[in-house]
Amino acid sequence: MFLEVKNIVKSFGSEQIIKELNFTLNAQNTMSILGKSGCGKTSMLKIIGGLLSPDAGEIILNGINVANQSPKHRKIVYLYQEDLLFPHLNVFENIAFGLRLKKLPENEIIQKVNSIIASLELEDQSGKMPHQLSGGQRQRVSFGRAIIINPALLLLDEPFGSLDAGTRQRMQELFKKLTKEFDITSLFVTHDLKEAILMGDQIAFMQKGRLKVYQDKTEFINDKETGVQDEIGFWDGLKSKETISKH
Amino acid sequence: MRNKFSHIGLVFFVLIGVIPFAAAFIYALLYSLGIVGVLNSGFTLQHWQTVLASSEVFKSFGYSALVAAISVVISVSFALWLALKFRKEFDQKILSFIIYLPLAIPGVVAAFFTFQLFSRAGFFSRLAYQLGWINEVSQFPDLVNDALATGIIITFITIVMPFFVLLFLNVYKNERVGNLSELAYSLGASSKQVLWRVSLPVILRKTWTLIALYFIFLLGAYEIPLLLGQESPQMLSVLIIREIKQFDLSKISEGYAIAIIYTIVVSVAVSALFSRKNKTLNEI
Amino acid sequence: MKFNWKPYILTLIVLLILFPFVYMVLLSLASEWRFPDLLPSYFGLRNWLKIIGSETGLLHSFLISVSISLSVATVSTLSGFFISRSVSYHPKKRVLTLLTYFPYILAPVVFAACLSYFFLRMGLFGNATGVIVAQFMITFPYALIFFSSFWNQRTKNLEDLVATLGGNQLQTFFKMLFPIAKGMLLICFFQTFLISWFEYGLTSIIGVGKVQTLTIKVFLFIKEANFYYGALSCCLLIFPPVVLLYLNKRYVFNKLV
Repeated sequence: MFLEVKNIVKSFGSEQIIKELNFTLNAQNTMSILGKSGCGKTSMLKIIGGLLSPDAGEIILNGINVANQSPKHRKIVYLYQEDLLFPHLNVFENIAFGLRLKKLPENEIIQKVNSIIASLELEDQSGKMPHQLSGGQRQRVSFGRAIIINPALLLLDEPFGSLDAGTRQRMQELFKKLTKEFDITSLFVTHDLKEAILMGDQIAFMQKGRLKVYQDKTEFINDKETGVQDEIGFWDGLKSKETISKH
Repeated sequence: MRNKFSHIGLVFFVLIGVIPFAAAFIYALLYSLGIVGVLNSGFTLQHWQTVLASSEVFKSFGYSALVAAISVVISVSFALWLALKFRKEFDQKILSFIIYLPLAIPGVVAAFFTFQLFSRAGFFSRLAYQLGWINEVSQFPDLVNDALATGIIITFITIVMPFFVLLFLNVYKNERVGNLSELAYSLGASSKQVLWRVSLPVILRKTWTLIALYFIFLLGAYEIPLLLGQESPQMLSVLIIREIKQFDLSKISEGYAIAIIYTIVVSVAVSALFSRKNKTLNEI
Repeated sequence: MKFNWKPYILTLIVLLILFPFVYMVLLSLASEWRFPDLLPSYFGLRNWLKIIGSETGLLHSFLISVSISLSVATVSTLSGFFISRSVSYHPKKRVLTLLTYFPYILAPVVFAACLSYFFLRMGLFGNATGVIVAQFMITFPYALIFFSSFWNQRTKNLEDLVATLGGNQLQTFFKMLFPIAKGMLLICFFQTFLISWFEYGLTSIIGVGKVQTLTIKVFLFIKEANFYYGALSCCLLIFPPVVLLYLNKRYVFNKLV
């Protein structure tokens, strides 16, 4: 297993926000995690990314327990819902940021960044500042900035939450394409049912700090808790009403 | 992330931000109680009794508060009027720079300037003489070092009002008072109603803490009343420094007692202003 | 037709603002201006030439003021920036911020009077170092409060982001925090410079007349009733801030937007 999370527990004061977190994930797979706001999903991602320390538990990445490593050594990138581009840098420099931290040679940086910019379909935007970009473009830059440093694991916290429906769909497709192209392993948190089903190779559901991982999508769909059945019921109900009124 | 870096920061914070204040307070307290100091010989409440028995401290408090309050009220009213009436004009290129110019004038210069203009041998007195309104220096009204603190109030206003104009202009933009006013008009409000029910409440709600803070600043102002004030009553800072720094050493303890009273009053006021809401200057 | 009074009031406002500047310059060029003359009997560069001849020590005062204010502004802006980070990210942020307000709100002159004993004991009485330390104590809380809004959740997230992208603490500051705080750093430098530049009461107490900054000089000249030199020192006091304001408005405020 590429990623193994074992018995992670976290409390704030008397409230336990992460209860016995256990799951595994294969390399180059995406696990989508469905959860409402306040279910503990952001805390879970921050613990895995090293931005929050757990009370107990292990995070084994590629055979090494990283639970006590500082975030900069983990090679795990956490992406916020908000794109958080550096306001003082243009598109090119935002993407190049991680490479500049590593002090790579200039021509290597230029070549790598330009190739990512091409994959992201941002060729014409490279000199623009963040405030000149649309929401979808900003989110793409944010992806590029993370992917370029070749992270072992990508954590996505509702990355498309603030985008409109059309842009969102295009971004989902682009993300799928990129994960294949760059062999990305990721955890994808969302509150959108459809997105959870679409994006994940594996699928999980988080509620009140407890994560439930499903065998496959059928099990997920059949679980009453996830709300998939309600959704199906809603559309079926609409359909049958329509057929009744037609008669 | 908890790290060494932020711990060192906190240590420095305490060292520079907290300890000097505490040290100053404790020293003043001990001095006023006769425990430290040149002529003092042990714990006594005598200095405090003298201070509390004399009416000078309370007069000085009342006088300072009144002068500061009058100055703030006049400044705020004028500044509101200017900011609301000339909003568009102040946006123009040259004017938008000119309205910042008063910020380059410190209290000392403003006080000196008031003195030059309004004193009996000053510019306006000369003007009045040349115009034939007065025949002698003494006929010109006493506007500097006078009992009504005219000079102090004029100077306070010249110092504080420009700042308020800039503040209100800024808040008008940030709080989108313009859009809110348009909305109110479309809901059928008259321009008077818009002013009293929208513009003023929105602006003042956002700025009242800062206005209160300026009142406290003026309460403790030093150089302006030092130059333009009279012998008695004096404004607080002037009184405290006079007592502490004068040649009569026996008065020093009383000076520190007044300083303690002043510090407590101001600290309580600030705590009341900022503890209920977690508001800082920058949120304005 | 409706009478438009606005241009008249505006003109009046502009005149009122410019009047002190013009008047100070004129007064600094004058001498032997006795009551009730509306204009002085001498008008020329005599006073200014004397300064360059350094007879009054004004040039010296100017240099002292510049070095004191530059030191105070540099130290308080930088320390305020770093330390307000620790304060703002602390769970007890509210209490700590409240503590910051106490020295900020107190009249500096009273603060100085209560601290003068300690300055005396530490050998900081009557010298420029002492004045710098004392002024720093009042500009520091200002800088601290000034930067507290910068260290918000967004900045914290950006810092975390740099960490997950592989950056260390030093890189976080130099590659990200300093660049995005540039405008605020400049404004804070400007403001703390002004607080120090304008400071009179505290300087007079800690400097005991030995550290003669420009504000101290102005007071001395006024006490001697030497209004022409007084006006001249006022000019030296107000024109550097005017230049700074011009630069500030042009470069800083534009960049912030």
